[in-house]
Amino acid sequence: MTVVELPARTHPDERTLATGNDQLKRRRRREYGLFALLVAPNLLVIAVFAYWPIIYNAFLSLTDWNMIAARPKFIGLANYGRTLTDPAFHKTLWITVVFTGLIVVGSLIIGLALAFLFNLPLKGRGAVRTIAFAPHILSGAAVATIWAFIFDPGYGLLRALIEPFGAEPPDWMNNSDWALPGLVIVYLWKNVGFAALIYLAGLQGLPKELDEAAAIDGASTWTRFRAIKLPLLAPITFFLLITTVIGTFQAFDVIAVMTGGGPGDATTTLSWSIYNEGFQAFNAGRAATLSIIMFVILLVVTTVQAKVMERRVHYR
Amino acid sequence: MTMLKRRMFLGLAAGATLAGCGYRSVDAVYSQPAGAVPKQYANRTRVVFWSPYGGVNGKAVDKLVAKFNDSQDHVYVETQFQGSYDDVAQKVAAALVAKQAPDLAVLSDVTWERFFLNEALEPLNGYFNDGFGPGVYQEKLFGEYVVKGQSWAVPFARSTPILYYNRDAFEKAGLPDRAPRTWSELRSWVPSLAKVQSGGRSLRTIAFAKIDGDWQFQGNVWQFGGAYSRGLDVTIDEAGAVAAGEWQRSMVHDLGAAYMASSPSTDFANGLVAVIQESTGGMKTISSKAKFKVGAGFIPSEVATGLATGGGGIGMLRNISDERKQAAATFLQFLARPENSAWWTTQTGYLPVVNKAREDAELKKLIAEQPNYGVAIAQLENARKQDAIRLYGRNANVQIYTGLQQIYADNAQPKKVFGSVAKRLEAIGTEVKRLYEEKVL
Repeated sequence: MTVVELPARTHPDERTLATGNDQLKRRRRREYGLFALLVAPNLLVIAVFAYWPIIYNAFLSLTDWNMIAARPKFIGLANYGRTLTDPAFHKTLWITVVFTGLIVVGSLIIGLALAFLFNLPLKGRGAVRTIAFAPHILSGAAVATIWAFIFDPGYGLLRALIEPFGAEPPDWMNNSDWALPGLVIVYLWKNVGFAALIYLAGLQGLPKELDEAAAIDGASTWTRFRAIKLPLLAPITFFLLITTVIGTFQAFDVIAVMTGGGPGDATTTLSWSIYNEGFQAFNAGRAATLSIIMFVILLVVTTVQAKVMERRVHYR
Repeated sequence: MTMLKRRMFLGLAAGATLAGCGYRSVDAVYSQPAGAVPKQYANRTRVVFWSPYGGVNGKAVDKLVAKFNDSQDHVYVETQFQGSYDDVAQKVAAALVAKQAPDLAVLSDVTWERFFLNEALEPLNGYFNDGFGPGVYQEKLFGEYVVKGQSWAVPFARSTPILYYNRDAFEKAGLPDRAPRTWSELRSWVPSLAKVQSGGRSLRTIAFAKIDGDWQFQGNVWQFGGAYSRGLDVTIDEAGAVAAGEWQRSMVHDLGAAYMASSPSTDFANGLVAVIQESTGGMKTISSKAKFKVGAGFIPSEVATGLATGGGGIGMLRNISDERKQAAATFLQFLARPENSAWWTTQTGYLPVVNKAREDAELKKLIAEQPNYGVAIAQLENARKQDAIRLYGRNANVQIYTGLQQIYADNAQPKKVFGSVAKRLEAIGTEVKRLYEEKVL
């Protein structure tokens, strides 16, 4: 057996190499330092105002606490068990799904239709675009107040408009069958301007060649819309889908002003029931539980949407 | 769409943790909410007073406070308007979590109890003197805040519902110029009132409140021989309460003579409805808005009389310094002076909570000229403290008025609605039972 002598680690280049490595490391470290320094304030703010409250909220969901008592009482998963088996919670979920579904589908379809309209070379379209977009930047409470007046059965605008024709409007906000559709109308009015604007930007960025080529080949307007424009707009649709779903799930302001979750529980969405449990019933534990459930639902919905769309959305 | 709620919630949680990762300590001294002290009141002890009164009533609060500030030179009271009764309660709770405390807060008939049960209020007996305390205040109203001999708040803007009616419309309908004596009598007036035209349609007889209607309904349940609860034992699904609900359901859905209104008092002042049951604290507001002669009378009875007291009392927070407590007490003592209590009544319509206020010359003159202001005072003998479940059950009021909404809006059967409301109230009662038995009984 021969013993192989390993060469001594004194390669002529080694020293310089090591120095180079050190320098590289030092430079990297310096860059990391600078990076950390620049990012730290934002990260700290996000940690304090976003992550920590979520963690704290998760903790609260394991307690029974009325916000006034000196200390929350730890009760494990009891809030979850109670909430998930509560028929009222199931109804709330269903209302939330219907409400979100109607608003999302409505915003996308009407928004897209408006975008095509705004894309036509018509006179005054700039002004019309602005008017359509304006509701989006109004505060929800103001929008709700305006619509409360429009819908008012006694002295509302809608009544004044249709009464001459012998019709009488429903008492929108005080009727369980009409309250949710009424809210959907209000949110659509507030939302479609935004969807239209985003779609319009997308439309204007579409390559004209494909459309023109298809037109020359004799494709109808509908075919060109369905087979060319719609698929090319998929990334826009995807973006709007996610933002509208999240936004609608968290909708609160208009509900608070117009219906207060009523009549009965006809417009009690998940976000309203969180408010009701937390700030009317002072039930921090159950409100936190509902918040966590909403968080999980949105996480799942968004992940699924992203996975599905990954395959079907074609970014150019 | 905003993330208002989530932000509020997260903000509250963040506030709680930032403030030291702890919770309220019963005996800690917390800082005051910020504000500005005008120069002429500098170097005084500042007292922060959270109020839910806006509009006409808010202006009256401001004037009372200004009078107090100018009446002495030790204490400066700063009124901070916080929204509704519920808003005040929410904000006090949030403030305590963030280790801040206003010194005084107006708490409603259904919110002071939760602060009392959780040891957030200062007991007031130690601050009583000859002009401030038992004997000075109207017994019933004072007694509602007394638990086991200790006072936890004092009455301020206390009210009962009274019946407001449109005198012009009653005249057109050929009805007597008075409130109906029973609910059955009002029902018999429906055809006459329906002949009166208002805003292009026939006048409706009565409007029921969409929010907080369970306060008026508490009295209605008694009038029909029932109760929300006996102690914490829920009885809203029994005959009396169901009969009261059925009377209202039938008025709305069988006769089309009644409806649920977002603001009954606004509809009434606009002449859309002939009769409402509304707080006496709305007297000044309604009288000044209405373009017709407003009549007021007792709430009708049916098989029994009885109506619920309500409105706001002032509580002192426990987590404040002794200096602030003493200063806050001087303001409460000022409000207990007969002339101030009487003045508050003349400006708002709320009950005079101080006995001697009834002998005040200004108030007597007002009642002589406008008898409406005397109705609530005369009716007070029929008033009583509400059933325990509404007072002590967390969110019991919301559960009840949500049930009423289903009756008004959906023609739901009262028996069925109150059956499911009762189940929820029982759960709520179970939650509070231990504390209630320990601290109240």
